[in-house]
Amino acid sequence: MNAAADIPVLETARLTLRAPRVEDFGPYSGFWASDRSVWEDGPLDLDSAWKEFASAAGLWALRGYGAWSVVDRATGAYLGEAGLFQPVHYPEPDIGWMVVAGAEGSGIAHEAALAVRDWCYRVRGLTLLMSYIDPRNTRSIRLAERLGAARDDTAPLPEGEFCVAYRHPGPEFLA
Amino acid sequence: MSARAVTAIPTLNTPRLMLRAPRLEDFGAYADFFASERAVLERGRRDRVGAWKEFATVVGQWALRGYGGFAIVDRSSGAYLGEAGIFHDHGYPEPEIGWMVVPAAEGKGIAHEAALAVRRWAYDTLGLSTLVSYITPGNSRSIRLAERLGAVPDLAAARPDPGDLVYRHPGPEVLA
Repeated sequence: MNAAADIPVLETARLTLRAPRVEDFGPYSGFWASDRSVWEDGPLDLDSAWKEFASAAGLWALRGYGAWSVVDRATGAYLGEAGLFQPVHYPEPDIGWMVVAGAEGSGIAHEAALAVRDWCYRVRGLTLLMSYIDPRNTRSIRLAERLGAARDDTAPLPEGEFCVAYRHPGPEFLA
Repeated sequence: MSARAVTAIPTLNTPRLMLRAPRLEDFGAYADFFASERAVLERGRRDRVGAWKEFATVVGQWALRGYGGFAIVDRSSGAYLGEAGIFHDHGYPEPEIGWMVVPAAEGKGIAHEAALAVRRWAYDTLGLSTLVSYITPGNSRSIRLAERLGAVPDLAAARPDPGDLVYRHPGPEVLA
């Protein structure tokens, strides 16, 4: 058995971050079918959205980190996805987030990203985290800045992606 | 914080092979296969980023569905020989048993040996009662292997793409 693939559960004030499940794919693919996914290389049809969904889940077994489903801690309702993303062409692990349409504007991505970053530094022992963001995605850029990340134009970028790099404050700044 | 072993990936051993969880270091050989002509009949050639998505998707399937892709490695040397497993993309009407062998390992019955182990595991451990293989017409090598495994064309079965061939494997009751 492959113990490296265990997916932890993280709790915040309002949220549970848990392993992605097949039943999350409906609302997940709803996001990818919408214009809201345009800054994340969307929209995607169901087959492509599945590969996006499953490959992010597969990172856990391959790299020991990956994507969580973000659900309402009280109701269990699916709210979005947050976690660490690093397909083969990403120079560094990327903290990313996505919130479904009905859950926007209430700080959920912020709360989830803080929990992810805390886990990365305190539990997983990572020291360098980026967010690669399409420069037109002003909502995500605002959140990166709120998280204390700063644009780093010297950082290597994922090959072939139209994005800029935001570097998160390291564990020493957050301790 | 609690941890949940949602993606426990078993290891299967055969006389010559070990089927184990895919690892990052397998990706080079995997990507080389999908960059080559040999991938044309395996749902198409892919660049490195596209190959990664395939590679990670069948790993993620373990967490999502409880089954997925195994890396096939040489039991004595550990060399990467290919991939076999139970594949179940969104557009698949049912779980599929599939295989892929890198060019250097072809012609030695490796896919056959791996597929037998996967099928046995799928029936005995996973408890599946039937399995299909979706094959692109013209992939005569895979068709021969499906036939060697006792699978027969299932003309009535739903398929991911109208152009796919569906081979239905003998069920657990036949193989018992």
